[in-house]
Amino acid sequence: MQDSSNKPDLDESLNVTESHDRTVRDAAAVQREKHVDEGGREPMSLWVFGACAFILLIAGLALGSAGTLFNYDETVRPGYVRAALDGGDSAGPPPAEALKVYMAKGEKIYGKCIGCHAPDGKGGGAYPALAGSDWVVGDTQKFAMIVLNGLSGPSSTGKNWGVMPAQGIGMSPTDLAAVMTYVRNSFGNSVGDVVTSEMAAEAIAISEARANAGAPTSADELSADHAKMLPGEPLDPSTMLDPITLEPVETEG
Amino acid sequence: MSVPDPNYDKDGVLRASIDRSLRHPVMFFFTSGAAWLAVAILLGIVSNAKVTSPDYLGDCSWMTYGRVNAAHQAALIYGWGCQAAFGMMIWLMARLSRQTCRNAGTILVAGHVWNFALSLGIIGIFAGGGTGMPWMEMPSFAWMPMLLAYIGIAIWSMVQFKVRPAGHTYISQWYLLAALIWFPWFFGSSHFLVHGFGGSPLGAAGVNAWFRSAMLLLFFAPVGIAMAYYLVPKVLGRPVYNYSLSLIGFWTLAIVAPWAGLQKMTGAPIPNFLPYLGAFAAILFAVPAAMAGINLLKTAATDLKTVNESPTLRFTVWGLIFLLVFGLASVVLNAPKIISITQFTISGYGFEVLGIYGFFSFIAFGAIYFIVPRITRREWLSRRLIKMHFFLSIYGVSVVVLVALFGGLMQGVGQEDFTQPWYNAAGFASPYALATTVAWSFLLISNVFFFLHLTLMWLRLGRRSSHPTLLVDPHHDNPHGPEGDIDNAGSMVH
Repeated sequence: MQDSSNKPDLDESLNVTESHDRTVRDAAAVQREKHVDEGGREPMSLWVFGACAFILLIAGLALGSAGTLFNYDETVRPGYVRAALDGGDSAGPPPAEALKVYMAKGEKIYGKCIGCHAPDGKGGGAYPALAGSDWVVGDTQKFAMIVLNGLSGPSSTGKNWGVMPAQGIGMSPTDLAAVMTYVRNSFGNSVGDVVTSEMAAEAIAISEARANAGAPTSADELSADHAKMLPGEPLDPSTMLDPITLEPVETEG
Repeated sequence: MSVPDPNYDKDGVLRASIDRSLRHPVMFFFTSGAAWLAVAILLGIVSNAKVTSPDYLGDCSWMTYGRVNAAHQAALIYGWGCQAAFGMMIWLMARLSRQTCRNAGTILVAGHVWNFALSLGIIGIFAGGGTGMPWMEMPSFAWMPMLLAYIGIAIWSMVQFKVRPAGHTYISQWYLLAALIWFPWFFGSSHFLVHGFGGSPLGAAGVNAWFRSAMLLLFFAPVGIAMAYYLVPKVLGRPVYNYSLSLIGFWTLAIVAPWAGLQKMTGAPIPNFLPYLGAFAAILFAVPAAMAGINLLKTAATDLKTVNESPTLRFTVWGLIFLLVFGLASVVLNAPKIISITQFTISGYGFEVLGIYGFFSFIAFGAIYFIVPRITRREWLSRRLIKMHFFLSIYGVSVVVLVALFGGLMQGVGQEDFTQPWYNAAGFASPYALATTVAWSFLLISNVFFFLHLTLMWLRLGRRSSHPTLLVDPHHDNPHGPEGDIDNAGSMVH
């Protein structure tokens, strides 16, 4: 069983029986040890299995609420808006002035335009400036047609910049209204009015009814057909709006 | 009983030679582990004090909360937990496989490598090189030497199992062998995935969550349960209450535990089913925990007097009670609805302390009180030191765990109210953090007693006696005291 050469206290000069006795005497703790017995066959109480079944039930509840493997509908809802709080006082984000609300929304959408017209709206290189442009601060219908359909040929300054591609695909009336309001009131432009969603919806309808729908518009077409403001009820820029729904909010007092 | 077992002496000699062959590495792991435990507790006190008084020691960058807390956890897990586990594993596997250790020198060297890598890693944390991932906080240079050191320590136990005498495999060997194989699997793959590949931080966070769970459920749990399955029947001399149940418990753990962990990533953009699957497995962990805990407590309940008198059994049985609480906490904390409240609170810390200090360390203390007299051939010096260690540990751990679990719930409820600033929710937890600091101080005192006692034993200053140190009143039942009886025919306890 044992290799005596490994044991420093059992070299060959020792009497093996004697050292055996010494081992037994020294290792009293070892000597008094009991054997481990595996023969236990006591019946386990039913409540143990009941408890395990209960644990299984809770675990099943946890797994059961998982849904399908890669379905995120429960956790990631498109267009999710934080529910109003129970308290009532702070239901949703606070209302704000119409101009600010449209501008804030438009600033995000202007991200599409930054590539050519630059963050400061001054264009540069091969692209015209929006800052101070007559078509931007002038008739809203002209402006809307350019945004929706693009522009071919000379701009309001008379310089020919080539073709601007159409930006209207997938743009909702609210998006269009917001970005127009933003551009008309930024980069030094300060028209001060709001292009509402209703006006933008009209603009999309007009754009779709154009004779050459789908093609970029041109300076001639703009001055012939679209030299007017968009139809629709003008909105007082200081009206308080819900920043998410863009609906007017009744303000107290 | 009256007919002496002819193999009894032979068995005793074999046991003695196994113990002797392992005395240096096992004592090294236990004493070095206890020293790291003292370091870990000191750092725990400092880091918990910082929750209530953020300015405390806040002037020097290396004593900031992020570093102290990370160092506290690294010292607790790798300094104390792993080393106590190594000492228990190599000793128990040698005993159960009936093989003397022929590689004590290699194990000792590997143990020093482990300590050296760990020390450098913790210095790295203090120097600001922490990785920011809990339990994998040490800079990336540390894990490879630690893994190699582990192999140098553990491979011999696998060899011993392989060459064991033919016959039955005891339940503790199942658990030990599983832990021996699981540790390099999850430790190596996790660190390799996080440090080896420059993967996405999200993936690293997921791997880290799994790693923490694996450390508890695939390493500390099987080693602790293996030791308990040895100690309780051994000291009592009674068979395990229901042996078949112990085997079912082992296979349940083996099937369930590797799936747990990703419940900590609830709400993170990982595949939708993973957190639910993690919660499912973490809840189911309560089943093997209950099977092992109840089985052994039923065994212990047959002889409560011995349980009360033996330091080994007192610690082990309380470790098993904490195992049941650990399983229960695993159910409660991971139940649907509750997990969203407690996910980002101190209750996770309470759960980990419950697992490492409540369940695992108590069984490790029990094992140390059993093993050390055998390998040093000296008995423990003082029953008073053992009692102090026991009671202060019980109070300390109970307070840390209860306070962190419930404080976490309060903090979670506070955090749910998102109209209030987060500072208020943290304020909910601050009285609990204060109580935790006090409780860690209890644990520090208890560990001072333990470390002192263990060091004296290590210096071979223990009692030379053939009688165990039992937690009984010396003047109560034996007029001569337990030591007065010198013919080795006294109580056969321990």
